[in-house]
Amino acid sequence: MKTSLLAISLLVLALAAGAQEQAFTNRATDLKANPDGATVKALPENTAVKVLQRAGGWTRVDAGGQAGWVRVFHLRFPAVAESGSTSSGANALSGLGSALGFGRQKSQNTTIATTGIRGLSAEEMKNASPDAAALQKLQSYRADNAAAERFAREGKLNPQKVSYAEERR
Amino acid sequence: MKRLLIALVAASVLPAAAQFGGLGNLLNKGVETVKRVQEANKEFSTEDEIQLGNGITASVLGASKLHPDQNLQRYVNRVGKWVAMHSERAELPWSFGVIDTETINAFAMPGGTVIVSSGLVRQLASESELAGVLAHEIAHVVRKHQLSAIQSSMNSDILAGIGKEAAGQAIGRRGGDAFGLKSAAAGAGVEAAKNGLFLRPLDRGMEYDADRMAIVLAARSGYDPYGLVSVLQLLAQVKGDGGGASIFDTHPAAADRIGELEKSMPAIVDRLPAAMPQLEARFRQTVK
Repeated sequence: MKTSLLAISLLVLALAAGAQEQAFTNRATDLKANPDGATVKALPENTAVKVLQRAGGWTRVDAGGQAGWVRVFHLRFPAVAESGSTSSGANALSGLGSALGFGRQKSQNTTIATTGIRGLSAEEMKNASPDAAALQKLQSYRADNAAAERFAREGKLNPQKVSYAEERR
Repeated sequence: MKRLLIALVAASVLPAAAQFGGLGNLLNKGVETVKRVQEANKEFSTEDEIQLGNGITASVLGASKLHPDQNLQRYVNRVGKWVAMHSERAELPWSFGVIDTETINAFAMPGGTVIVSSGLVRQLASESELAGVLAHEIAHVVRKHQLSAIQSSMNSDILAGIGKEAAGQAIGRRGGDAFGLKSAAAGAGVEAAKNGLFLRPLDRGMEYDADRMAIVLAARSGYDPYGLVSVLQLLAQVKGDGGGASIFDTHPAAADRIGELEKSMPAIVDRLPAAMPQLEARFRQTVK
């Protein structure tokens, strides 16, 4: 049981260098020169695009050789099984490899276990004994308020006043 | 929230009906159970909640090791603490830990401990994405989602006894003290972890709620609030195989979560600056 779980859950991805995140428009939308800018061209639903960059509510894409911006929510990202041409292992994996490639930092070979194996299955939690020393170690990495504030300043993070939407209604 | 509690209580009452028969008995038993659960909720202090979380965290770390990169641990703590400081429970002793596993997941423990897998962190592209993930988990803690789920599922006698000496000793004997954990609540956390309670999916509504709150918390902290959306688009590409405790088994489908955010985000982001930092370079300095 355990070994078969391991076998199906370890997806070894050989990521092709230069591969880009593949997405499709999930409705008819516009390709813009800039976020909220002039329309470069109209994109029908299900247009294949490559993701180049993300900024706020906009994603910069390559749509058939033409770069421009589309709204973040107007894109859908297909799952592996959809993007692979068949359901057999090798093709599905190369599909994922290209789907996760460029634009995200990747090592050449990434192993992704998509299920909770190695320590966190229900079965293994049952047999785990609590590790108080590891808990202490985890807590030793805590940041205090001053450290967090310094870190935020370094990153030029400017706090904003935002209330939960439901409170505003 | 209340509905979930009632549903679970109702489920626990059904066997009683079969045993004794009769609607009167069923109702009495139900009222009794509700009273006991209410009692348990009332007596759960913040300190108990923190200790319960410590017990669960210690158990998780007994099964899955902390990632050895101390810079990574400190970095994730700074991002998480900064976001948590903008929540309604800023005063909790927030702790963040990266476990060394390729499994893609993140967990929140009652009391303010958040665990993310190195597998998830390495798939991210920027600090604003990490902030989005941590903000989602922080939101669960702020709303006490896991605490409520654990309270609903655990034996209410144990929970009602937390903070009371006699029950504390009983739980202590069952493992709490033996592992150097401080209280009966920590012992209850160990029990909860053993039963895999924290691995169980939360109500879908709680997940959507946490996503919405995460957008707000990230924005309050000054991050590009679309970080979480970007992570969900990433998760949409990775297909879980339904084998157990991954994010794909414990959360609604990424596409559904994105759809919910499309509805709620405009009202949240309408008055924010157009461009807010993603801090991609700082992220890549630490996450290699």
